[in-house]
Amino acid sequence: MSDNLEQLFVKQLKDNQNIIHKICRLYTNDEDAHKDLFQEITIQLWKAFPKFRGDSKFSTWAYRVALNTAITLYRKSTRTVATTSFEAQKHFISQEEYNFEEEEQIKLMYQAVQQLNDIEKALVFLYLEDKDYTEISETLGISEVNARVKMNRIKGKLKKILNP
Amino acid sequence: MEELDLLKKAWQKDSHSYEQVSESEIYKMLHKKSSSIVKWILIISIIEVLFWAVISIFFKVDEYLKNLNAENLSMYFQVLNVVNYVVILWFIYNFYKNYIKISTTASTNQLMHDILKTRKTVKYYVWYNLLMSLLSMIAAFIMEFEFNPRMEIVKNQIANENNYNTLIVTVGIMLLSIILFIGLVWLFYRLLYGILLRKLNSNYKELKKIDL
Repeated sequence: MSDNLEQLFVKQLKDNQNIIHKICRLYTNDEDAHKDLFQEITIQLWKAFPKFRGDSKFSTWAYRVALNTAITLYRKSTRTVATTSFEAQKHFISQEEYNFEEEEQIKLMYQAVQQLNDIEKALVFLYLEDKDYTEISETLGISEVNARVKMNRIKGKLKKILNP
Repeated sequence: MEELDLLKKAWQKDSHSYEQVSESEIYKMLHKKSSSIVKWILIISIIEVLFWAVISIFFKVDEYLKNLNAENLSMYFQVLNVVNYVVILWFIYNFYKNYIKISTTASTNQLMHDILKTRKTVKYYVWYNLLMSLLSMIAAFIMEFEFNPRMEIVKNQIANENNYNTLIVTVGIMLLSIILFIGLVWLFYRLLYGILLRKLNSNYKELKKIDL
């Protein structure tokens, strides 16, 4: 019984791992930290898996648990300074459509996002995942209005970081 | 904010550029906690054996026996020593086997089974060590009593006395020091392995919860 459950979990996680990678991408700034967070999220997901009833998609459930894990894990550690190394960045950016100017801009954006706090990163993640404010507010346990206000503030913050 | 939208576009495109984690790697992540505990059990048991080996270099049994004029017992001690090391090495081999098994297993059922087995091995190991301490303690007392010339006074007194006072006191001291010594050894093992075993047990319970 448990072996079946485990097989199911491992398969689902394998198929949906990109969503976890994306969260790790926002919360960590080198490959080792990325792997550590991925592992921590995997363990938390597995612990929570018995409670997953299947009334939402696995990916939806997974990114919620993963975001919570990332938030609690990074709550205590002070804001990550933008130390994102060139090396680490290269690893993530796709090879196709190599547009230098755009690429540079995206790199700067990632660096800017790195300087946000844990909750703000979660909001950015949900925004980038194209979630609407209803879902954002549900996931983070805040009101829709609050989510909108926070998002606007984040945009302002990012602008300030990019154009000091 | 146009930069954010640019990022969003890139974000949704680059989902395939992450280094993919395989199923077997995920299994390993799930079982990592138990395997690191079992690894510590293995390491501690090896350190412990090394510790006793170093101690026995400084404590010369042969000289001790010579002082007691009991050299003829030396062979028994050597045999006992060899047997003891063989048994302990066998335990370490088992710890090692458990560690390898737990760190490579791919199924929760098997992992639970292995955790129980490891716990049992550790328990037997502790019991064995306690028993050995008890036996060597008793042997030491008997030898002291038999061969140590200073015990003659006590022996004479016991033989010449009408009541059993001296006998009772002697036996009482022996029993008390045995209990104290064994208690200390027991405490030592409880601290050393108890913490690890408890952690392993909570892992087991966690796994069991998922099993239901």
